[in-house]
Amino acid sequence: MQWAPIGSEPLPPPLPPTRVDFTGNRSEFRKLVTKGAMLELVTFGFYRFWLVTDIRRHLWANTAVDGDAAEYTGRAKELLVGFLFALAILVPIYLAYFLIGIEFERWQGFASTPLFISFYAFGQFAIFRARRYRLTRTVWRGVRFWMDGSGWAYSFRAMAWGLLVFLTLGLALPWREASLERYKMQHTHYGDLSGDFEGDGWTFFKRGWWLWLLSPIAMVIFPLAPFFYAEFKAREWRWWLDGIRIGGVSLSSELPHDAFYGLYWKVIGWWMLLSIIFAAYLGGATMLVVKLSGLPVEQVFGPDNTAKSIPMLVMMVIGYFAVALAVNIIMRVYLQRDLWAKVLETVEVHNIGAAADVRGSGELASALGEGFADGLDVAGF
Amino acid sequence: MSELSTEVPAQSAKPTIFFDGVSSRRREVSLALGDALDIVEEGGAPVRWTYADIRRADSPAGILRLASTSAPPLARLEIRDAALAANVTARCMRLDEHQTSRRGVAKIVGWSVAAAVSIVCVVLFGVPLAADRLAPLVPKPIERRIGDASEVQVKTIFGRKACEDPAGKAAFTKLVNRLRDAAGLDDDAMTAGVLPTSVPNAFALPGGKVFLLQGLLDKAESPDELAGILAHELGHLKHHDNMRGLIYNGGTSFLIGLLFGDVTGSSAVIFASRSVVEASYSREAETAADTFAIEIMHALGRSPKPSAELMFRITGKEGGSGFTILASHPLTEDRLARMTREDRPASGPPLLTDTEWQALKGICGSGKI
Repeated sequence: MQWAPIGSEPLPPPLPPTRVDFTGNRSEFRKLVTKGAMLELVTFGFYRFWLVTDIRRHLWANTAVDGDAAEYTGRAKELLVGFLFALAILVPIYLAYFLIGIEFERWQGFASTPLFISFYAFGQFAIFRARRYRLTRTVWRGVRFWMDGSGWAYSFRAMAWGLLVFLTLGLALPWREASLERYKMQHTHYGDLSGDFEGDGWTFFKRGWWLWLLSPIAMVIFPLAPFFYAEFKAREWRWWLDGIRIGGVSLSSELPHDAFYGLYWKVIGWWMLLSIIFAAYLGGATMLVVKLSGLPVEQVFGPDNTAKSIPMLVMMVIGYFAVALAVNIIMRVYLQRDLWAKVLETVEVHNIGAAADVRGSGELASALGEGFADGLDVAGF
Repeated sequence: MSELSTEVPAQSAKPTIFFDGVSSRRREVSLALGDALDIVEEGGAPVRWTYADIRRADSPAGILRLASTSAPPLARLEIRDAALAANVTARCMRLDEHQTSRRGVAKIVGWSVAAAVSIVCVVLFGVPLAADRLAPLVPKPIERRIGDASEVQVKTIFGRKACEDPAGKAAFTKLVNRLRDAAGLDDDAMTAGVLPTSVPNAFALPGGKVFLLQGLLDKAESPDELAGILAHELGHLKHHDNMRGLIYNGGTSFLIGLLFGDVTGSSAVIFASRSVVEASYSREAETAADTFAIEIMHALGRSPKPSAELMFRITGKEGGSGFTILASHPLTEDRLARMTREDRPASGPPLLTDTEWQALKGICGSGKI
């Protein structure tokens, strides 16, 4: 789950709650991610560090709490360096994993499979450290957020709870989330204010247990699945926002349970449209190749025709890249920007006066965590 | 708001806010634009920013947010009045010096392309070279360990133990030994066995292990058919193809993963490019092993053609389906054509007597599995 940049400035008596405003221009964001996705393509993905930084800068800078906008001070170079360092550490680990795996396999076939779990644990560590990086780059009113706590302690908790969730077929999920979020928030600080998380698993469970019960139906009747997922996510977000505390400041949200239906269906609609276009494109490309080569279909794709199937392969690759580009843009516009805006418009900040005069503190964290998260494919926003 | 516009330009109706970077206190200030930018808070100590030090910070539309390189790093001045903002902007010559410019982006693109080209070159030339050079150097014990590990896996998949019928085993050992001597494989740790499964295949594992699956044995009609295939597997051992493949696959998937940005390698691009690259590599290895098999069979005075016929009986004609560029083996019909060209009348003694051949066919008992 992601955190939202939050700030608040409370005053002791019960003042009316303040709102969070998102003022980002949608078409500006769309242009940003379109340009970024194209550059990502021509740079073989290396541009992702710059793109993700630009996205965060846009979202943060346009999010204003109590009239003052936040700011993201992270830079792409930090991410690049973090990624390279993470690689330097991950490569020997992969090698060791390989060698230990061999010893395990000698002892018993496929005995090394559980070793894979250690990568999951490492991924949890990376998630925690990546959050720390993002948080220390989040500034509001000239004071940064920061984090202490241990990535490994978090990873241990995540693993233990994960086992419990596995054993209870998912029923323990609310308590897992509550516990992990408590750990994260209790180690979160804004200047000299400390965070806390007051949501509890039971509340979340009561809001979502029937979804858990009905989830097998969604597996059978496919079109129901997005509704279920949207329903679950909305309830999760709302529960999470309601639980957040920083010093005396608290958040609450009136996010409706059906808030995400539209978003998910729009993404699915785009996805289907793209699939149809891609299929049509492939069909057209095949016909074109067949026509141009003047050979029957079997022969074009047949043996001894490697050279002739190359144009087809190239067309496929181009088509694939175009689809990947489009999907990239769609996901970012709907599932990052629109979701962000939708959630923020429901948030209320209470007692913001408590953050009116906070002393800055906390050190900047390195981007190594983000590098690990990138290398292990667990990166978030 | 202060009406005491003591100094130069007019202060506007929209407030100018200053955060000193030490506390989150929101200070309404007025600005004086002289030799440097003076930030004056009523009742507070004035702050002075040199124009050359002032940089733009991210802000929502309609607000000019400034930082200064000589102030605390998080100190921010927010100007909301457009006229005043323009006035300040005009005086700060190095306002946007730190932003990524068009040239900066071009630089990123250039370096990425250079990195990609170098990775592609390493995949195409460096890794195969490294694999060829390193594979023979891998110490035997390590190779054997990897072989042991894969043997355990293979036996988990194909179940049970190797077939143990004594007469059949003797015949099999004789056949393998003749091939091994002809191949000049001095590895005395070489082991071979027949596994009781209906899958028609044979394979070699690192550390000199050759496995024949019963399905293939059942389909074989003469010792020569089997011998050619076993010789092909010995070719893989002789060329260290397992270790080469291991180094090669590990190297390419890591590098291609690096290129597309996830080390674990899960996306479709990685899968696709890997299969093309690796298939061509393994096709080369297969062709080399075929060459080796042909040499051995000739050395033993037998024809390699029957083994290709056996393969053809199992796979049928392969061409005409899918993308041949992705195939890991040469097409069976091509191999058959090649072995047919190498067909020579038998000049050496049969590899097994009829009795031995019958014993070998019955190595797994009644043949029912």
